[in-house]
Amino acid sequence: MNSELLHQYNYDEFVPEKFMPWMRFDESPALGLAAPDFPLWRLEEDRAQSSLGEWWSNNLYLVVEFGSFT
Amino acid sequence: MNAIADKYAEDGVASVFLYTNEAHPAERFPHLTSMEQKFRHAAALRDELGVSRPILVDALDGACHRAYGSMPNMTWIFNRAGQSIYKSDWTDANSVDNALQYYLDISRRRKDRETLAPFTVQRLDYRNADRLAFFNGLTRNGRQAVDDFIKAFGPPPSAFRWDAKDSADDPD
Repeated sequence: MNSELLHQYNYDEFVPEKFMPWMRFDESPALGLAAPDFPLWRLEEDRAQSSLGEWWSNNLYLVVEFGSFT
Repeated sequence: MNAIADKYAEDGVASVFLYTNEAHPAERFPHLTSMEQKFRHAAALRDELGVSRPILVDALDGACHRAYGSMPNMTWIFNRAGQSIYKSDWTDANSVDNALQYYLDISRRRKDRETLAPFTVQRLDYRNADRLAFFNGLTRNGRQAVDDFIKAFGPPPSAFRWDAKDSADDPD
């Protein structure tokens, strides 16, 4: 993994020069198109690998809330 | 959002929480440096904040989060074909509830063999913005989270009181 990217993405203080570069909603994928899929890991079930695609393909609709404890 | 998940579970709607970077890192929940730590923080989200939906943890570099715009608390809805059909730069249960009612009605109309064509709509939704509650939430993270936010966006409401015991236990 790119260590510089890891450091910048996981910024260590909430200051504008560190968090503002990540406010990129305007650049996010357009609606109605095939959405990008990524590997993800389940907190439960022994951290088994999963993906968004696994979830959306098995349900009529999938609601995904992004966030963290903080 | 847990209540929304429960409300629509029988209608074929799955709801998950995708764990990202720390938006307001502080003493109790510092910035992430390992997947082990990320799983610990995700467990605290489940255990302390009561997130009952399945929690999916993103890669440490936030590959998924970054691809979707990397906002700190956004919500997206996808259909079974893997198309995104709703995106919101902030999570609001009322907005998501409203959207799901609409999409479930679309599913019923499809079942009735109505011919439907997609179009794009932009809408400005409104969320509750209780600044005191927000500051009280920051105290769970640690003093740094409060101080950083004040530096970036100004002082808290006068009713805000820092309570040091809220940040006494450090999971890291």
